[in-house]
Amino acid sequence: MDVLINNGWLLLRGASLTLWMSAASIGIAATLGLAFALVQVFAAWPLRALVEVYLFVMRGVPLLVLLFGMYYALPYAGMDIDPATGGILVISLYFAAFMSEVFRGAILAVPRVQWDAGRALGMHGSALMTNVVLPQAVRTAGPPFINTCIMIVKGTSLVSIIGLWDLTQIGRQIVERTLAPFSVFGGVALIYFFICFALSLVGRHLERRFGYVH
Amino acid sequence: MSIDPPAAGARPAIEIDGLSKWFGQHVVLDRVTTRIASGEAVVVIGPSGSGKTTLLRCINLLEEFQEGEIRINGAPIGYAVGPDGQRRRKPEREVAAMRAQLGMVFQSFNLFPHMSVLRNVCVAPIKIQGARRDEAEARAVELLDRVGLKDKVDAFPARLSGGQQQRVAIARALAMRPKAMLFDEATSALDPELVGEVLAVMHQLALDGMTMVVVTHEMQFAREVADRVVFMAEGRILEEGPPEALFEAPKSDRLQAFLKRTRAGYLP
Repeated sequence: MDVLINNGWLLLRGASLTLWMSAASIGIAATLGLAFALVQVFAAWPLRALVEVYLFVMRGVPLLVLLFGMYYALPYAGMDIDPATGGILVISLYFAAFMSEVFRGAILAVPRVQWDAGRALGMHGSALMTNVVLPQAVRTAGPPFINTCIMIVKGTSLVSIIGLWDLTQIGRQIVERTLAPFSVFGGVALIYFFICFALSLVGRHLERRFGYVH
Repeated sequence: MSIDPPAAGARPAIEIDGLSKWFGQHVVLDRVTTRIASGEAVVVIGPSGSGKTTLLRCINLLEEFQEGEIRINGAPIGYAVGPDGQRRRKPEREVAAMRAQLGMVFQSFNLFPHMSVLRNVCVAPIKIQGARRDEAEARAVELLDRVGLKDKVDAFPARLSGGQQQRVAIARALAMRPKAMLFDEATSALDPELVGEVLAVMHQLALDGMTMVVVTHEMQFAREVADRVVFMAEGRILEEGPPEALFEAPKSDRLQAFLKRTRAGYLP
């Protein structure tokens, strides 16, 4: 316990990097994911095929391999990005593929008759999407969206391997100094748990707040 | 087969010329031709699968069709023939602008579940016609009053009975000040005791002079409200005319058989 209190400041710094990377990645992944989903549902085949190839690749390659690629291989290609930016980018691009499926499924789950009702009122394109389809899709997307956010938070722990001082890496450093793996990793695990638990609670709250009146 | 509309001389609001639609070998609509005059209430009857609903959905292009032409107040909808002689679908923006002139009421109501009753009625006038919010809301309240639901403005659709939902759906369509209203089996999904309240609203609309195309199985409504009844079977219009003529003196065997079945019900 002492070990956690003595290193509390360090752990907090690690947690803040983890939180910051998570938030940025969730934001970018969700935005890209929505864009990909819209392309999959609406775009003509060349663009759609391109996006689908991308999604297959991202879903088929481990996140760690992508991070190594960014960290070790890109510099050879003459691209030098700092690990934090690169980490956020790779995590975002990776999870955008999962977000895309979340949104695509949610858009397709909006009943056809709702689209018809909007069209019959003269809506099309963005008016139909923003007034009729997306508000209903968002409700379906809620639970799997939160689920993906939780995967992103935990996914950021992989950046510890490319030298970033996130929560996991800080934990490893403290263990090397103090030789107290149980309490240190226990504490690290607890912090991850609370971040994810908070996300679940936010999800529950939103579900109640924006659920239909039944 | 087609006859002159009752309001002779009035410019037809909806003209359907040689409308055909098919899926592969299966013909859904077979050279349907008819005229619906401004202010006329036309009721379309026929057995299921006869193409009534498809015809209605073609009129506002919720369904594509392969041949023929539909004109609303003289303007062809949906397709244009290019200089190369190829028939092409018009841009979605134009199709949407055309749809905004027609109100449609669906069998399954299709209110937007995430919006209050008031919002359901005023969303399209605000977002599509650019109406001012306060004006659109005032008109929505007025329309809801007309269909007897003024006290439900803040309710959500899920809280309403089927009959109430359908009346909101009618108000929603009317809010766009449509040139004509299309009713697609508007009472078929309702409990029997809720059918009357919806038919009453539709009847009033017809009395107010709204141009209406009504697909229904309610024969009594067809008799009382229709200026003209159209009988369809297998994608074709087999008979059309004033309700008395069709119901009292059906010419075709198909219509005679159809009326016999609908009248007989399950009585011995």
